[in-house]
Amino acid sequence: MGRQMRVGRLRPRWILALAGLAAATMTVAACGGSAVRGGGGGGGDQETVKLGVLLPLSGVYAPLGEDMQQGLRLYIDEHGGKLGGRRVELVTADEGEGPQTAVPAAKKLIQQDRVVAVTGVVSSAVALGVRDLFTESKIPLVISNAGADEITGEASSDYLWRTSFANTEPNAAFGPYVADQVKGGGVYVIAADYAAGKEAMGGFKETFEAAGGKVADERYTPFGETQDFQPYLNAIQRSGAEAVYCFYAGAEAVAFVKQYEEFGLADELPLYSAGFLTEGGALDAQGDAALGIRTSLNYAPDLDNPANERFRAAYQNRFEEEPTTYAVASYDAAAVLDQALTSIDGDVTGEQIAAALGEVGEVDSPRGTWRFSETHNPVQKYYLREVRKQGAGFTNATVRELEG
Amino acid sequence: MIAWLDANLVSILNGVAFGLLLFTLAVGLSLIFGMMDVLNLSHGALYLVGAYAAYRVVGEAGGSLGAFLLALGVAGVLGLAAGALLAGITQPLARRGHLHQALLTLGVALVVADLLSALFGDEVHSVAAPAGLRGSVRVLGHGYPAYRLFVIGVGLVLAALVYLLVERSRAGAVIRATVADRDMVQAIGVDTRKVLVGVFAFGTLLATCGGVLGGPILGAQPGLDDTVLILGLVIVVIGGLGSVKGAFFGALLIGQIQVLGVTLLPEYASFLLFGTMALILTLRPAGLAGTAARTAAPGSSG
Repeated sequence: MGRQMRVGRLRPRWILALAGLAAATMTVAACGGSAVRGGGGGGGDQETVKLGVLLPLSGVYAPLGEDMQQGLRLYIDEHGGKLGGRRVELVTADEGEGPQTAVPAAKKLIQQDRVVAVTGVVSSAVALGVRDLFTESKIPLVISNAGADEITGEASSDYLWRTSFANTEPNAAFGPYVADQVKGGGVYVIAADYAAGKEAMGGFKETFEAAGGKVADERYTPFGETQDFQPYLNAIQRSGAEAVYCFYAGAEAVAFVKQYEEFGLADELPLYSAGFLTEGGALDAQGDAALGIRTSLNYAPDLDNPANERFRAAYQNRFEEEPTTYAVASYDAAAVLDQALTSIDGDVTGEQIAAALGEVGEVDSPRGTWRFSETHNPVQKYYLREVRKQGAGFTNATVRELEG
Repeated sequence: MIAWLDANLVSILNGVAFGLLLFTLAVGLSLIFGMMDVLNLSHGALYLVGAYAAYRVVGEAGGSLGAFLLALGVAGVLGLAAGALLAGITQPLARRGHLHQALLTLGVALVVADLLSALFGDEVHSVAAPAGLRGSVRVLGHGYPAYRLFVIGVGLVLAALVYLLVERSRAGAVIRATVADRDMVQAIGVDTRKVLVGVFAFGTLLATCGGVLGGPILGAQPGLDDTVLILGLVIVVIGGLGSVKGAFFGALLIGQIQVLGVTLLPEYASFLLFGTMALILTLRPAGLAGTAARTAAPGSSG
């Protein structure tokens, strides 16, 4: 349509003004996009490896992408710009909001930029969408967020690895604890109506009911189009449930938690969830409304171990904010690639890295040590966390470890 | 019946609050289309400008009434300026019809949304309700957020003001006359360009101030511009183009559908909004308050 538009009647000054605005926007966007491309030495140098980074630089997932870039950058810079003794050249591509942007971006990384491995990927649809591409190209993809169970389940591949979590896990780890807390009272289960929400609730209900818990009712809200949760909150109040278990992230997490407090539920019914509810920027926006919410996740900024002490200090120092689970998973993605590359002599291929990833043992991570399972998912601990005040802001404080 | 009312009272009230918030948005969209024949697709982006102004001035926590009023003032000035600018850039395209103007405003919307994203990042932000309107009050035995009651009050006052201004005042008569016969109004000594720019600026002022008003409810985040624009368009279509009354009843209807409809028919939550629009378009193609089908503007075949 744009091509058919004749600009004859647009006055020149408006064209200039619009062009100026457009140029300004593009410049800003370009700056944001190229921020990660650091350290690229000359190509052809034997000691340089090209690592692809597939992360959302735009769209609703961009805040997660930023945390993940920060974790990755921190690890590489802490190691002098090298992984496994080789200089690393990062090539970043935009994952966008789904496979329609991510698949071409992944193809470009593999076929045009000829990277030896790729890390990142926020969306599960993307991870599943590029699975065959990576498997057939024999390039390993180290996923540092996307949580669909399938990725390390039915769809597992020699070339897919994951350093984050599977969606069911934080919820399954939480079930017995919540059952113990409500002591036979019903729990209202509510989640966003999409694959991750369903997987999360499935994981929770399985262990929760096995531990003697009762589900009072269950509701799935339209994903990404619910601005007002009041009708659902009203149904919760009338259900006679004694607690609520939910799964929301990002904008929906902010709206749900704020309205949960505004409509007076926070005083009556304890709210439990996987930790994504109150992670990162969402917690800042929720503010007071989130106080006291208990969640389950594989990381909390105050975890007491030497690796985390160092990591948290360095992260806060450099980015002036608390690290998140998203940053830790990407930091660890760099760590496993570091270990894998260290064990390879001479020229590096994707096949060699994939094989070497299989030999990676215990990873000494800020979340505590973990290792890959048979299907390349982390075997890790989950922690009970509670939202508390910290200085002028809020934090997810560790209460204790959750028993598997 | 009484038990049902009691159980759903909060939902009904909340539907009114949500509807009146949407009214502030939709009435501007409707006026600009009705009076100026411009479909302003940057309306949602301007709402977001107001929401970010509230975030910047009021903040995520705390926030006094003074800060809230200051945010309204800032948003008002931005809205007036944006309206004058949009009127200026869409006028030269007037003879080329709706499509070209709509595309231009869509372009403006994309640029504005990207600039906001560059300025404020892609994080989700909330806006604190002003002091004194925080917390909840008891309404017939149910807890209800005080700020939403405030939104209901503001929305009703605004609806009355806009109605009086457009339908009952002398200025409104000049505006309607300008739409009906521009040459005749010019002949009696009125500068019709000023009238048109004024209407546009008033419409966009309502969008940016709506953003401030909606801040404590919907927050400020990328993508919100599209969400509210679509809701606004649905209301304008349901209510009838260019009608204040139509926008009012359309907004109240959508408010109830989004809240009470979801309470009563949760399984159909995703379909209710557009299902209603389809139903009304089938039964009353001109909208609730629409009279006859509008004649297309000259050259609108674009």
